[in-house]
Amino acid sequence: MIELSHVSKYFGTEMAVDAINLKVEKGQFCALVGTSGCGKSTTLRMINRLIEKSDGEITLDGQAIEAYDPVKLRRRIGYVIQSTGLFPHWTVARNIGLVPRLLKWPAKDIQARVEELMGLLGLPVAEFAHKYPHQLSGGQAQRVGVARALAADPDILLMDEPFGALDPITRVKLQDELAGLQARLHKTVVFVTHDMDEALKLANHLVVMRDGHIVQQGTPLSLLQHPKDPFVESLLGGLERGLKQAALTRVKDHMSSMGPTLPSQFRIPADFSLRQALSMMLRDHTDRLAVVDQQDVPIGELSLRKIVKEAQLEKGSMREA
Amino acid sequence: MKPDVKRVIRSTQATAMTAWLWPFLWGTLLAICIVGIPHAQGIFQWIEPDVRQVIYQRTPFYVLLERHVLVVGVAAVVTISLGVGAGIAVTRRKGQDFLPLVSQLASLGQTFPPVAVLALAVPVLGFGTLPIIVALMLYGLLPIVRNTLAGLQDVDKDIKTAARAVGLTPLQVLYQVELPLAAPVILAGIRTSVTINIATAALGATVGASNLGDPIIAGIINNNMAYVIQGALVIALLALTVDSVFDALQTRLRLRLSSS
Repeated sequence: MIELSHVSKYFGTEMAVDAINLKVEKGQFCALVGTSGCGKSTTLRMINRLIEKSDGEITLDGQAIEAYDPVKLRRRIGYVIQSTGLFPHWTVARNIGLVPRLLKWPAKDIQARVEELMGLLGLPVAEFAHKYPHQLSGGQAQRVGVARALAADPDILLMDEPFGALDPITRVKLQDELAGLQARLHKTVVFVTHDMDEALKLANHLVVMRDGHIVQQGTPLSLLQHPKDPFVESLLGGLERGLKQAALTRVKDHMSSMGPTLPSQFRIPADFSLRQALSMMLRDHTDRLAVVDQQDVPIGELSLRKIVKEAQLEKGSMREA
Repeated sequence: MKPDVKRVIRSTQATAMTAWLWPFLWGTLLAICIVGIPHAQGIFQWIEPDVRQVIYQRTPFYVLLERHVLVVGVAAVVTISLGVGAGIAVTRRKGQDFLPLVSQLASLGQTFPPVAVLALAVPVLGFGTLPIIVALMLYGLLPIVRNTLAGLQDVDKDIKTAARAVGLTPLQVLYQVELPLAAPVILAGIRTSVTINIATAALGATVGASNLGDPIIAGIINNNMAYVIQGALVIALLALTVDSVFDALQTRLRLRLSSS
């Protein structure tokens, strides 16, 4: 668990972070979002003491970070940055094994761990172990960066715009893989990004920052439904908010059982997002889709009219509450 | 393994091998000259037909060579330790206040002509080898300091941050990341410094430091061009040999760093 209370950072007289409070529970994926210069990277770097805070208190599992030796603290925290920061004069395998080597693991354990991580991140050992960073594509290099951060199995992972420099296709692929990894490993992650779609997709705790302040924080859904001010609303996509919200819900949560009418000829798998379903309706000029399971067997129906009605009901009930 | 990969590896090995060809060639020529000059009476008689003695015989050439290498070597060891040490010190956080001072001092050292340094050093240090070593040190410091600074400052900031962030101690960052990455540039500075100093060391002969400058000075005084050529030839070959050794080292370093 990471807890920041009244944490501030001044560079000279300039204030970068102003008395922020933030709590990241164990296993939570927390995304810090905001425009450039809002203090999100500074906040991240104060956690592993790359930058020393000016004021306030940061605790890891209840213990103040000043109680740890900075070098030992950093070896317990994985760190991934946009430019990968891989050592260009070391092979992929040596880069990944860096922290275990610093922690003086036996050579055999290091090798086994490196091979395990390369498998986990889809980097075939025979092909990549002896390559150097400049021989890798951007996506491959960032996989190595993530593997290095995970090498000593840290509880905490800090990621500073890790996918910001990748092309859109590779970025989405790595986001999906990170989501898959997180579902298995349950790390406590603090993730800095200015890409709201990335944050909405990965995070279960969203923190919007501006000018060193936290403007609003909560679950992605709660922020989408109740943005606090026009800044948060515009950051969340303004009019597109509805679609972004739809992207967070699955088709199976909105489907109804098969009606008496014939099922629609257009099919959508139950674990697709509602956003994808809406897009399909627009593309195929239909207001009904047949929902199918993994074996392509119809199990229900999705109707545009019903979705809209549900949304109205939800809004009404919220107004009453 | 794909055929083109094999070809790359083979050509890499080939460059690594040919890199040592030049040091070997120049070194052999140097050895031939050291051994052969005393027997080349005919050639040098042709240059200076009117002089009775055309071969420099006061001290054997291999002794002069040994003294020359020793002077340049001592100066190089001191300059490298001082220069690289100062370069490292002022790029650390604690020493960064001294960065402008050190780079200016090093530039100043090179603006003093070695002859002037010798003239100033002799009254203080006396005749002999010491003043020439001091002159060489001052003169050779700049390229090393300048290249150490450039090499260390050129290391990608993100790589240094990452090194710190994963938990390397400051000393580990220096030895495992900064110095290996700056090594080619630092080595280039050492190469310039040492090669220049091999030529400059000949000036030592004017203040009583016996080395390969002796035949040159003696030749100038006695108006004997044959002596001058003998001294100059051996110094030039020594400089070429050492320079090509550095070149081979740099090639090896580049290959290891890019290893492609």
